[in-house]
Amino acid sequence: MRLLKAISFIILFALTLTLFSSCGGGGDGEVSVFYFTYSDTYISGVKGAMDAALRREGIAYHNYDANGNQSTQTEQIDTAIAKGSRLLIVNIVDTGSDDAAKTIVEKARAAGIPLIFFNRSVSESVVKSYDKCCFVGTDYEMAGVMQGELIGRYLLDNYSRYDINGDGKISYVMFKGQQGNLEAEARTRYAVSEANKLLTAAGKSALSFYDRSNSNGYLVDQDGMWSNAAANNYMKTILSAYSEGGGNMVELVIANNDEMALGAIAALNEAGYNKTGGRTIPVFGIDATEAARARIDSGAMAGTIKQDGVGMSETIVKIARNLIDGRVALEGIDSESTVGDWRVNIPYSAYTKEG
Amino acid sequence: MSELLRMENITKVFPGVKALDGVSLTVKAGTVHALMGENGAGKSTLMKCLFGIYRPDAGRIRLDGKDVEFRSTKEALDGGVAMVHQELSQAMRLSVMDNMFLGRIPLVWRHLPFVSEMELYKRTREVLDELGMDIDPRAPISSLSVSKRQMIEIAKAVSYRARIIVLDEPTSSLNEAEAEKLFGIIELLRSRGCGIIYISHKMDEIFRIADEITVMRDGRYITTRPKYDITMDEIIRLMVGRTLEERYPEKSNELGEELFSVENLSSESAGLSEISLSLHRGEILGIAGLDGSGRTETLECIFGLRRHGGILRVEGRVRDIRSPRAAIGAHIAFISEERRQNGIFPVLSVQENTVISSLKKFNTGPLLSSSRMRAATMDGIKKLRIKTPSEKARIKNLSGGNQQKVILSRWLLTEPEVLLLDEPTRGIDVGAKYEIYKLIIGLAEEGRGIILVSSEMGELLGLCDRIAVLSDGTLSGILTREEATQEKIMRLASGEKV
Amino acid sequence: MNIFKRGISSIKERTLEKGRRIRDGARSFIEADTGEKIKRATSFALDNAMYIIILLAIVIIAIMRPRFLSAASIINIISLTAAKLPIALGVGGAIVLSGTDISAGRAVGLTACITASLLQSTGYSGKMFPALGTLPIPLVILIILAVGAVIGLVNGFFVAKFKLHPFIVTLSTQLILFGAVLLYLQIGGNGGQTLSGLAPSYTSFISGALFTVAGIPVPRYVLYSVLITLAVWVIWNKTTLGKNMFAVGSNEDAARVSGVNVFMTVVLVFMLAGMLYATSGFIEGARIGSIASYTGLNYESDAIAACVIGGVSFVGGTGKISGIVIGVLLLQIIFVGLNFLSVDQNMLYIIKGLIILLACAVDMRKYLKRA
Repeated sequence: MRLLKAISFIILFALTLTLFSSCGGGGDGEVSVFYFTYSDTYISGVKGAMDAALRREGIAYHNYDANGNQSTQTEQIDTAIAKGSRLLIVNIVDTGSDDAAKTIVEKARAAGIPLIFFNRSVSESVVKSYDKCCFVGTDYEMAGVMQGELIGRYLLDNYSRYDINGDGKISYVMFKGQQGNLEAEARTRYAVSEANKLLTAAGKSALSFYDRSNSNGYLVDQDGMWSNAAANNYMKTILSAYSEGGGNMVELVIANNDEMALGAIAALNEAGYNKTGGRTIPVFGIDATEAARARIDSGAMAGTIKQDGVGMSETIVKIARNLIDGRVALEGIDSESTVGDWRVNIPYSAYTKEG
Repeated sequence: MSELLRMENITKVFPGVKALDGVSLTVKAGTVHALMGENGAGKSTLMKCLFGIYRPDAGRIRLDGKDVEFRSTKEALDGGVAMVHQELSQAMRLSVMDNMFLGRIPLVWRHLPFVSEMELYKRTREVLDELGMDIDPRAPISSLSVSKRQMIEIAKAVSYRARIIVLDEPTSSLNEAEAEKLFGIIELLRSRGCGIIYISHKMDEIFRIADEITVMRDGRYITTRPKYDITMDEIIRLMVGRTLEERYPEKSNELGEELFSVENLSSESAGLSEISLSLHRGEILGIAGLDGSGRTETLECIFGLRRHGGILRVEGRVRDIRSPRAAIGAHIAFISEERRQNGIFPVLSVQENTVISSLKKFNTGPLLSSSRMRAATMDGIKKLRIKTPSEKARIKNLSGGNQQKVILSRWLLTEPEVLLLDEPTRGIDVGAKYEIYKLIIGLAEEGRGIILVSSEMGELLGLCDRIAVLSDGTLSGILTREEATQEKIMRLASGEKV
Repeated sequence: MNIFKRGISSIKERTLEKGRRIRDGARSFIEADTGEKIKRATSFALDNAMYIIILLAIVIIAIMRPRFLSAASIINIISLTAAKLPIALGVGGAIVLSGTDISAGRAVGLTACITASLLQSTGYSGKMFPALGTLPIPLVILIILAVGAVIGLVNGFFVAKFKLHPFIVTLSTQLILFGAVLLYLQIGGNGGQTLSGLAPSYTSFISGALFTVAGIPVPRYVLYSVLITLAVWVIWNKTTLGKNMFAVGSNEDAARVSGVNVFMTVVLVFMLAGMLYATSGFIEGARIGSIASYTGLNYESDAIAACVIGGVSFVGGTGKISGIVIGVLLLQIIFVGLNFLSVDQNMLYIIKGLIILLACAVDMRKYLKRA
């Protein structure tokens, strides 16, 4: 009983402590930033950059983690509005349809608060339906297109080396991050189609999915979390059935993001691939996270597409400043990357060992 | 004889109840000290204070001249105080030796967490031999009879080299032969200088083995006297605060037509074969037998708790009873021996415990009527004289006797014709027992039939119109009230023909 | 009318009794000596720790962020509570049976998907069943309840028939339900897309304004949630099923001996739970605006937490509807309040865990005390 009392008091103490210690920011007039999930490496990178930029600008802010669930995010937005937020910066969870975004726009409109969507795509009509709304992100189809081009060029550079069994075709596996996500769909589609364009133009045959019986042409993270673990599990299973000895080794790995690419590399490493000295299966990702860049520099990974998280954060904060100071949202933003008065595109770039 | 244990002015308050009010108890080495009192008098609470289960709110405990304050049962055991509980709580799946050395299992080497099975077996064997118990240390507890399990608890106390051993109703589930054996062991412990605190409601036992007797009533200390200085009647008077004329009430029930019969009842799982019984209206039919002879199992078959073969008839109609619900539908009620296991709903209120078997009665349309349920409960509380703070009190906070009365009240609401009572007075004090006897006779007088299983010979002889004796799963004979004697029953029970 | 009068007089009686108890408690407290006073004060504080924490939290938050007690904020908290309540009530029943139900979230997900697919606007291009039109709302409610009941039936059947632990059974159904959600979202060329384009009649039925307070609308589902709670209260307290549920949860063997149909009781309690998840699924679509495969994910954990905080014990046989309502409310107040205080999101998970731990420990204390 004495022990229980002690534990209770420790917990009580801890709770009170967090209550008091956390009361830094101002209540009214803070900026609310909603992230799709903290568990995503790229997103947490963006969050770090955004936090720094907001702090530098002296803007009070509060972050929310939707943990991959639109219901949670919508509830958090309700709470933030009730709390008296002056600006909503939203990394929306549900990109599969317009309705979630519409609901959020309606909430912002009712409260008269400006709204910036970022990173995960929201359709033009929704953004344009509210005059205090804009979107900062990438042309989401571009990531897949650039990844496809990068793969095509990479393979053509030394085709016979990558065609391990010499059958004239490169067999590949594709890891998709989430079912029903626009970006995931686009990346999955364009990475293969753009690579095939280059290959066939050079007289090579198109990529072939390693498992003929799978008509989807991809393996998807069932939990929709774009996770390292999902790709790792798939890759291990593949490597237990496909091998060089069997003449059916997977010759190329494409992943929707770097997390999944790294998961695949870990599985390859266990099987003795992609280590210094051994055979390397080319693995491609997207995001250019720290970890992925390190793997590319060491040669374990072939390439990634850099989505400029820092640049995006800087742009968002610039827009936030404009809105807070009562200026037009996109004032002073590089006109090359703006689309009308509603959208800013952050450019992608390829990242490989050669730079 | 030197003083071994002294408990002084022990007070313990529970929310709403003063369970102990300045109680004192002194136990000398090498004596058996009987602790007596009605249910709810505070005997168990006092012992739990000694044993570290409860912490007294006031008072002090001295053991061998030193102040002690046990904060857990483990500390109490290590300090030389052991307790054999009325309702055994053992790890049923584990073996005898595991149970005996639970919490202090011998290790191969004390710095390594590996159990030495050999050492464990040897030490268990030693203790069991010392007490003359023929039990395999490797047998799982669940395979043993209640009496054997109790013996093991005592053996466990001995293995701790306990100086004070508390026995709470140790003979309530033992037959006479087993009880004899227990007394032998108690004698042995006494001769070794242990102090034994013996809680029992059985007067003859007390006068046989106790040296001193302490009486408690309503959480208060009443008196302590040497055995030769007090009489049975006096004890009863002190315990209940009034005199009881007789131990068994006057019987005036009359037998009517046949109410219930069972033909060739057999059950493989219970080891019963071809038991045939009949029961008349107004009759109290006793079932006697040694532990393991199939008494409880017979009732369980009749009540549909066990698969069985044979033909059951209630009021002349053949009934196929495969579940308790079917039995209740046939107006059969069953009060089980294992009150805690399948009698009470511990966290539910007295009211919920009372009405659970007859909820249909309280339906008004689709909803239950709280006021009628409450009225029925209050009625039961009044009729059976159930001691409870209110109908909303949780039943687990009531004493055993009062819990039993609540269960009886539950069954009376189902308006049963045939009542199966399995040790209905087990662990219940003299005053409450008398009330329950009166109730049983009252039910018979109303024309219901009662089948009574009991280990107490006096109870069977004092209440029953006929006594069926089981031996090893078969019916070895039925005695009428006139022919029945203790000796005849014992001979039938041990399988002899009369 | 009579029932009303009796109800009122019984409430009056109970309030008086409570008052008496508090007075007696206070008097004996004043008369006690200092050591005793401290002991009893700590005991009181521990017994009511959850309420004290929440009261403290409200006071502190309201002082630092007065907006916390504005109409908008209070309505926000009430709406959130109303949305979570049906799930908690369902899980609560399973916990009273000394079990649990971790399939709750996925059951909400599946029923939400079905609801959304049947109530898409006729003109919407991504409509899953273009030929079907928009079904009438009462019909959809019936379909949804039937689906929920079937889910509960499966859970209850395996628990009752094979004596499997509900955790194992519902773990299995949780996975099966998620598979069903993924398959369902593939129907009609939907290709795993989010379901949206919900009919306005449906969204206004759920989240339309019931009435407005200080210009802030209170959504209709708050009313539905209140009605559902009342219905479940009646089932728990005024029906044979309710009494049997507590009996089975308290002591299954004794329930069997007492003639309770244990099998039916368990099955019905799980079916009731399934139907409650279905109502939650029905509300969810219109509340959020779209339904995807992750809808309902982990809802059971908040529901279980709310039940435990509200005093529904895992020991079985104890729990009150009022406790569950308070539990859900407390969780929402804490989450919203911590956001008001701008507590770091990462800390929120830790605080949530600590609160559940504390609630369980305090709950068990009540059992340890009189053991």
